[in-house]
Amino acid sequence: MPLVEVRDLYKSFTRGSETIEVLMDLTLDVEAGEFLALMGPSGSGKTTLLNLLAGLDTPTSGTITVGGERISDYSESELARWRTRNVGFVFQFYNLLPVLTAYENVELPLLLLPLTGAQRRKQVENAMGLVGLSDRMTHRPGQLSGGQCQRVGIARAIVTDPTIIVADEPTGALDSASADAALKLLDILRSELGKTILMVTHDPHAAERAQRIVQLEKGRLAHQNLTLTH
Amino acid sequence: MFPGFEQIDGVSSSPDLSLVQTALYASGIFALLMMVLTFFAVLSLPIFFGTVFALEALLKLANNVPDPVGKLSKIFGLVFRSLRRNVVRTSLTYVALFVLTGMLSTIYSGVDLIDKITQEKEDNVQVIMTERFGAPSMMPRSYANRLKGILKELPPEAQPRNIDDDFMVWSFVGATLDLNKRTQENALFMLALEPDAIRTMLSYQGLSKDDMSEEAYAELMQSIDAMKKDKRNVIIGPERLELMGKQVGDSVKAYALGYKDVTYDFKIVGSFPAEVSRWSKSALMRLDYFNDTLDGAKTFSGAEVRPVNLIWVRMPNKAAYEALATVVNEPKSFSAPQAKMETASAAIGSFLEGLKSIVFAFKYIIMPAIAVIMCLVVGITITIGVRERRSEMAVMKVLGFLPWQVMGIIIAEAVLIGVMGGLLSTWLVYFAPKSIEAFKAFTGLKFKILFFDKISAPILITVYGPLLGTFVGLIGSALPAISSRKVKVSEVFAQVT
Ligand SMILES: Nc1ncnc2c1ncn2[C@@H]1O[C@H](COP(=O)(O)OP(=O)(O)OP(=O)(O)O)[C@@H](O)[C@H]1O
Ligand SMILES: [Mg+2]
Repeated sequence: MPLVEVRDLYKSFTRGSETIEVLMDLTLDVEAGEFLALMGPSGSGKTTLLNLLAGLDTPTSGTITVGGERISDYSESELARWRTRNVGFVFQFYNLLPVLTAYENVELPLLLLPLTGAQRRKQVENAMGLVGLSDRMTHRPGQLSGGQCQRVGIARAIVTDPTIIVADEPTGALDSASADAALKLLDILRSELGKTILMVTHDPHAAERAQRIVQLEKGRLAHQNLTLTH
Repeated sequence: MFPGFEQIDGVSSSPDLSLVQTALYASGIFALLMMVLTFFAVLSLPIFFGTVFALEALLKLANNVPDPVGKLSKIFGLVFRSLRRNVVRTSLTYVALFVLTGMLSTIYSGVDLIDKITQEKEDNVQVIMTERFGAPSMMPRSYANRLKGILKELPPEAQPRNIDDDFMVWSFVGATLDLNKRTQENALFMLALEPDAIRTMLSYQGLSKDDMSEEAYAELMQSIDAMKKDKRNVIIGPERLELMGKQVGDSVKAYALGYKDVTYDFKIVGSFPAEVSRWSKSALMRLDYFNDTLDGAKTFSGAEVRPVNLIWVRMPNKAAYEALATVVNEPKSFSAPQAKMETASAAIGSFLEGLKSIVFAFKYIIMPAIAVIMCLVVGITITIGVRERRSEMAVMKVLGFLPWQVMGIIIAEAVLIGVMGGLLSTWLVYFAPKSIEAFKAFTGLKFKILFFDKISAPILITVYGPLLGTFVGLIGSALPAISSRKVKVSEVFAQVT
């Protein structure tokens, strides 16, 4: 059974009297442990789809099931609780809290879980070790490079040990070396920790890392099983 | 007309300040107050940030306490981080709240004081009954008893507290020492009163304890006591004594003017203090002696005698006075002659009325306006802060923080500034003047800083200040907090990416 099952998904936004159909009649499966890249032109609905898969928004119609949970039926607070346990987020602009140290940023999502202080510390240290920033625990985002910030972002995404990691253009703001490092990390998360990774990207280089590429065009699936040289 | 009548009748304590002057004076004090408060607000910034740091450190200690305390302390720690993020903005907000709370508590103290004063004045309304149309006012003796009867019929709370102390009948008596030689030197003008009422009367007529030295007052009290011993005993002012060529201890025979065949045998038992010039030519005699001599002079039987010039009553409050005045001013109550009733000092009455409208304006317009401004100040600061941090709040929501948790952090930030501003400001207004006085008492130094020694704030403001800060923080951050609730995570990222 696939980890993520999307069935007959529609999503539209209303702005005033105008209704914009963003996603139409979308059906998609993602296996557990898969690294999936979402590609497509700007405005094709990639971010919208990712938001729905990550439980940040609810569809207009259709269903999304993740690990047997019908998250498309969840209320806002149910989604919030579900996200904390099941989804790790990596953003294009890292979105770290500037007032918190790297350590505190990574610890933030753990504050929502029933863990002891010692357990939290251990998990933060593990995550920071995994991204290779054990020596930067007390630095603030302003004191770190873009690549380092993104690695802190990845540490924050992994620290709760989620099943899915979603990343919206994670390399969009990075130079190629930093981008490579970040992608390598995501790959390790998949291969060694068995995480399912959903990544939106414009960058063919980044997409190369994925096992499968899904192409969106004007809110519909264009190609499902595209693989670049891998 | 009796000489001295004007002098005695006019309770001449008309206020020194007009309302316009008062208003100007108040504006000046306000401007000064604002400057002083701003100065202290800036001075207290280190205390503010020190306290914030101390609280944060305390909270950090709590980080290691088992959950949920430890966890909550970490989340609450975010509040302090955001306060520190924009030090200038936080400082400005704090200073504004400090100054506004300071103004509010000073105004509150002033209003409280004026309230008490007006209450006091209204609590003891002196009223006088006189003849309505005749001048000088002349009323029959029966009016005193009739007025007492009317007073007894008033509801208990409107009656004078102690009728012996609060009720006086005044008769002005003209006499001469020599019927054949009615010269200035021989003239004697007296006020006839019940001996028990003398002290009350004097306290309102420039001979209270505060008007003279302690020795003079003691002597005066002795003279009054002496007067009580015999109805013939009188007190005569020093200047009059000198004109008459008499002194304390002498006896004097006098003939009434206006009442044929009435003679008096006085014994001078005291004089008024030389230091109070207002009474130096006047004299006091006993009303019972005056009445007895009238009764003894059969000449007037059948004729209407109107020896009472005014009746003085101290009513418990203004409402009681108004109740009494309505009855007295009805033509049928006192018809021959008609009588009228007024407060002893209309001037004070209208001054207080003016003051009351100022107090009203402060209480119900200026004070709420200041509170509203405080809410706006907090509202603006927090709104800007929320705008700045929209995407951060979105991230927190993405990570699974619930809307009320994000909102709580924003509200807590506003409340923290509000409480600190309110607390430090009111505590300064309350404790600074006291500690300066204490310092002066301790060191024995004598100095004066502005009008600091005049400020005496009610202790309640030390509680009201922080409460107001909390309230202002809550109200001011309500809108931005609600708007933060509406931050839709998906929208924020749809725009960013
Ligand atoms: N919250 C929203 N309200 C209204 N319209 C929206 C909203 N979010 C997205 N849209 C619209 O939906 C369409 C798809 O947006 P989306 O962000 O998913 O595109 P995208 O494929 O991620 O594009 P890009 O590559 O530029 O990031 C766009 O036309 C966008 O204007
Ligand atoms: Mg996008």
